[in-house]
Amino acid sequence: MFAFTVARRYLLSSPGQTGLLLAGVALGVTVFVFITALVEGLAVRLTDEVTANSAHVSLQPQTRTARILEAPGLRAEGVALVSTFQRQQIREWRQVVALARAQAGVAAISPQISGSAFLVRGEAVQPVSVTGVEPESLDVVSPISTRIVEGRAQFGADGILIGRRLADELGLSAGQPVLLRTDRGAERLLTVRGIYRTGLQSLDERVAFLSLRTARPLFRLPEGVTNIEIKLDRPEEARALARFLEEATGLRSTPWQEKNTSLDDALIAQGQTGRLIQMFSLVSIVIGVASALVLSAYRRRPEIGIMRAAGVSSGFIARVFLLQGLMIGLIGALVGCATGYGVSAWLASLTGPDGDPMLPIAPERGGYPAALVLTTLGAVLASLLPARAASRVDPLEAIQQ
Amino acid sequence: MTPVLVARDVRKDFPNGDEVTRVLSGVDLELASGELVALLGVSGSGKSTLLSILGLLLTPTSGQIHIAGERVDDLSDRGRTLFRRRRLGFVFQAHHLLPDFTALENVAFPAAATAGGITSEIRARAADLLRRVGLEARMDFRAPRLSGGQKQRVAIARALINEPVLVLADEPTGNLDRQSAEQVLELMREMNRDQGITFLICTHDEHVAAQCSRRIQLSDGRVESDTGAT
Ligand SMILES: Nc1ncnc2c1ncn2[C@@H]1O[C@H](COP(=O)(O)OP(=O)(O)OP(=O)(O)O)[C@@H](O)[C@H]1O
Ligand SMILES: [Mg+2]
Repeated sequence: MFAFTVARRYLLSSPGQTGLLLAGVALGVTVFVFITALVEGLAVRLTDEVTANSAHVSLQPQTRTARILEAPGLRAEGVALVSTFQRQQIREWRQVVALARAQAGVAAISPQISGSAFLVRGEAVQPVSVTGVEPESLDVVSPISTRIVEGRAQFGADGILIGRRLADELGLSAGQPVLLRTDRGAERLLTVRGIYRTGLQSLDERVAFLSLRTARPLFRLPEGVTNIEIKLDRPEEARALARFLEEATGLRSTPWQEKNTSLDDALIAQGQTGRLIQMFSLVSIVIGVASALVLSAYRRRPEIGIMRAAGVSSGFIARVFLLQGLMIGLIGALVGCATGYGVSAWLASLTGPDGDPMLPIAPERGGYPAALVLTTLGAVLASLLPARAASRVDPLEAIQQ
Repeated sequence: MTPVLVARDVRKDFPNGDEVTRVLSGVDLELASGELVALLGVSGSGKSTLLSILGLLLTPTSGQIHIAGERVDDLSDRGRTLFRRRRLGFVFQAHHLLPDFTALENVAFPAAATAGGITSEIRARAADLLRRVGLEARMDFRAPRLSGGQKQRVAIARALINEPVLVLADEPTGNLDRQSAEQVLELMREMNRDQGITFLICTHDEHVAAQCSRRIQLSDGRVESDTGAT
């Protein structure tokens, strides 16, 4: 296409100016890519922190209040009475676990008995939230066995695992006995087998782990479990799986996002800020390209006039300027993506004194396709005005100049 | 034989505030194929205006114009562009070559823009024209590296690339020294003689006019005298 040849020749005719313009566009794209990589990286880090230490989908029995309405023959008090004594539980949990395990993307499953209790040692009493797990599923929700700082991650027949802070508050160390009294009125003397430190305050201060077998009599649940916790390979698929399991089992099914709405809000706000900066960098690219090409169209009025006089169509002239915009946009975007990736990768490789990366940048998530498409589109859009001006040059006026 | 150009009662008024300036007040003109015509007149007599109207760069206020048998005064903008490309050639006082292109590319340009590129056929045609204007050794020079006379010769070659029936030249030698002017004029005479292309040359230069086969004198917006018509 001849218009392409002419556009290229025009751009090459003043390499300094074109270079400067390209540098400007590339800088804008670099900012775009960097901000995108930072926002995405931050989101990934925050999401990772949350999803690493919580279940991705939690299954619980439906609350019974709904059933009172469904059973008009029964007196409401009677039902309420039953539900106070009889714990809500998932009796058919083995089927549910089998069903969940059969789903693609499910990484691990932990059926649990959760309840409230007190730990008593001498005069000291501390409320704890007890989690009864199958010993092999201890690490499903949060890694515990790798965080043991004292003793071992084993339950044995009467073992209990507690957090560092709780142990300190009760003056307990591994191997010592402690009395557990549950809200079901059962109690038993247990042995502290291991003490862990996860760095998460709630876990270290208020949670104790038992084996499912030990928990059963203490919470008076000979068969059922109270909840089933599921981890996924890809946490972002939690909503879909939760919806499926809720329909398939009738259990209340909660994806992690619903338990962490403040994280969602933070991510949305952060995304909006990022988008604003992206928009500004795009706008500055558009303005830069438009002003450079408007100037060029003005400077070339006489030659445009002579082309028009010689019978070159206004469409051809417009194409020459649109193609200049396209080339500047495309090349600037490619260069900008490369430098943006370079800068992000370099910053991501910087580590603080503790060996962790200083900035949570995800260089591979710089929004490259968007940067490429939007910049090119923006540059073409920016060249509309100069293209229009150039194609409307009156040959006679331009020649007489 | 059909005349190359027929202009009937061409008028041109320019708005000038509340009034109008009448520049052409009824020009009648007929050019036969193969004529070499000088258009003369004092400064401000409307020579350039008439040339622009005949070249479809300016619309007349009224009047009819036929070129090569086609009515052209009522064409659309697009139609005028197309007609200029197919039938007309221009040479201006200032050469207006494209500075980023070589002599050959400048000559080829008007044809290449429609053909989608400088095809080998267009290249051959442009090279042939440059040879004929005596610039075969300068084909690959960029425009700014040519002398004034050379540039004007390139401009003449460019005017001829699409094989026009009529070339309109507005003081083509106005910016040139005696010798270059002579060369350019000789070139136009040669093209006129060899190819039968009609030239309408607007000039102040008696010497130029003397070489033409016909002279038309413009005065007060009309043709005052017309001598040597075939
Ligand atoms: N666009 C315009 N608007 C108003 N008046 C114009 C315009 N163009 C030309 N004129 C007027 O028309 C008249 C003729 O101008 P034109 O350029 O045709 O003269 P000319 O014969 O070519 O003169 P010269 O020999 O000096 O080139 C002049 O008086 C000029 O002021
Ligand atoms: Mg004039």
